Amino acid sequence: MRHLFATLFALTSAAGPVAADLDRVVDAHILPGYAAFADTTATLARAAADGCDPDPLRAEWNAAFDAWMAVSHLRFGPVEEQGRSVIIAFWPDDKGMTPRSLARLVADRDPVVGDPEEFKEVSVAARGLFALEFLLYDPQFQPQDPYTCDLIRMATRDLAEIAAVVSEDWHGGFADTLRGAGAPGNAVYLSENEGLQVLFTNLVAGLEFTANERLGRPLGSFDRPRPNRAEARRSARSLRNVTLSVQALQQLVDTLVDVPLPETDAAFDGAAWAAAALDDPSFAGVSDPGDRLKVEILQQSIKAIEVAVLAEVGPALGVSKGFNAGDGD
Amino acid sequence: MGSRRQFIASLLAASALPTLSWADAGNPRYLAAAREPGGGYALFGLSVAGRDTFRVPLPARGHAAAGHPHQPLAVAFARRPGTYALVIDCADGRVLHQLDLPEGRRFNGHGAFSAAGDVLYTSEIVAGSGRGLIGQWDTTRGFRRIGEFASHGIGPHEIARLPGSEDLVVANGGIHTALNDERSKLNLDTMQPNLSYVSAGGRLLEQVTLAADLHRNSIRHLALRADGLVAFAMQSEDPAALAPPLLGLHRRGAPPVLATAPEAQQTRMKGYAGSIAFSGDGAHIALTSPHGSVVCVFEAAGQFVGMLNRADVSGVGPATGGFLTTDGLGGLCRIKGGALSPLVAAPRAWDNHLVTLPT
Repeated sequence: MRHLFATLFALTSAAGPVAADLDRVVDAHILPGYAAFADTTATLARAAADGCDPDPLRAEWNAAFDAWMAVSHLRFGPVEEQGRSVIIAFWPDDKGMTPRSLARLVADRDPVVGDPEEFKEVSVAARGLFALEFLLYDPQFQPQDPYTCDLIRMATRDLAEIAAVVSEDWHGGFADTLRGAGAPGNAVYLSENEGLQVLFTNLVAGLEFTANERLGRPLGSFDRPRPNRAEARRSARSLRNVTLSVQALQQLVDTLVDVPLPETDAAFDGAAWAAAALDDPSFAGVSDPGDRLKVEILQQSIKAIEVAVLAEVGPALGVSKGFNAGDGD
Repeated sequence: MGSRRQFIASLLAASALPTLSWADAGNPRYLAAAREPGGGYALFGLSVAGRDTFRVPLPARGHAAAGHPHQPLAVAFARRPGTYALVIDCADGRVLHQLDLPEGRRFNGHGAFSAAGDVLYTSEIVAGSGRGLIGQWDTTRGFRRIGEFASHGIGPHEIARLPGSEDLVVANGGIHTALNDERSKLNLDTMQPNLSYVSAGGRLLEQVTLAADLHRNSIRHLALRADGLVAFAMQSEDPAALAPPLLGLHRRGAPPVLATAPEAQQTRMKGYAGSIAFSGDGAHIALTSPHGSVVCVFEAAGQFVGMLNRADVSGVGPATGGFLTTDGLGGLCRIKGGALSPLVAAPRAWDNHLVTLPT
């Protein structure tokens, strides 16, 4: 789709105006993404309300997680208010806070699961998608145990509420804020460039998170691979999350940029091939030298996307990485 | 032809004579360094309303500056570990002096003047060990180095003079940073930051350390209230810490008080506070996190008030009824009445700090 417009825009954008479309990224990428996340989490909460048989719940939980992966790179606006993104997806968890917090709730039969308002005071580690993964997949927990079932119900309801608020806040106002970047009276984005900047920053950060965390954590070092650090390994979603995150970032680029991006397109294709070539859903193979190589190749292919994006997308949008944001002093 | 004694007397008179004031530099309220669109760097004076009052080019990326209490002089510090500090006449933009460090010393980004402005103190490290020093410079004699004393910690960062006193408070960040381009941190497992109060002569008056489980919370930046309340901002070097406290409050002789936002919101700071300031009326404290693109506001006693969004926000200083912030997108924003609103969008990327000048 982008390339149909590309030549047209190449003609008009040569003089400098930005070759990007904030309306399209809002309408085709952000709003439908959050709507789907709200829908799937609502479905999950309804399923949990009906019962805690793990099989149907796992299916709905996976659908919700898939929907989250389509927007997980968007770390600005309503999803950041109140720290919502961390509640939705609390990972990485180096200190094992999620299983510890959940085990404590279960051991204490903490009545917090009976009150939606009180549940909001529970640690972020015991809420959201990763807490539910533990409850639905880890043998430490029995979903059909009455208390655990109550906990699952409250956690799914809490998640669905957060997803609904984020979607409503985007549809009800923040979408216009981003579309209207640079318009008079826009106190969030003082120029169109600032709207593009936040998307570009999220694009680059999303690529880095997938390369360095989703892949870098289980890879560890050659001498010390860390398969137990793979994201969502209990549900064997680790590779799937990488694939879906790269697809989501590609969709962000496709909906945002109006000029040809041959290097970026090739790099995204390369990563898709590398992911498809990998038959290791939870990256358990990082400890095996041969299988490990394929995970490393996937990681390199995602780093190559970042290189292409910095070279092509940044200049096309007239933006670069943040000045202070990646810095420390 | 006069005697040598007369000659010296006339020299001193000459250096005391040009009693220019900050009015001659356009009455800036703030100083801030920035990267300009062409890729160069400059130091700016800013009015109460956030308008430029002067611009002086810098040779490399700046970090912070210190304003002389009376004369329109600013000392601009390089990003740490830095080799330059420039004394700039803000009235005409001339570089009056370059501070020359002794062999094996590096500037660490910040400095402070004595009450009368006759001595400049600079935070420094000993190259190789990271041991902290405070350098002393005589501002009445061409900013000549007149001494140094221990900062009583590793990697001192911001230093400030206590109001109504010649004593200094030093944020010893605790990090031993390699003097390479990556600024590698060499002692994260053993780092032990502290807040040290030292006399103008270098005597340690009081030292504050945090609980052992917070030894990776680097104490880096300071804000002082007229009554002596010290607010310090921290940066966590513990990647596994979920929501480490980043604000500390301290009064001489009392234990420190740490403050955080509720857990989920505190995570938005990404374990990193870039700058800290009291509000104009001293009732609130703001911490910026450029990594999280948020400003976190507390009451001066430590109660969390709220969070405000601004991309790449880092500099913050007091303003009437609230705060002024600067950010990497060139924005100057006002925080007032619990809301953040833009004042000016400048074509430059503001660097880490917004320095408030004496009034």
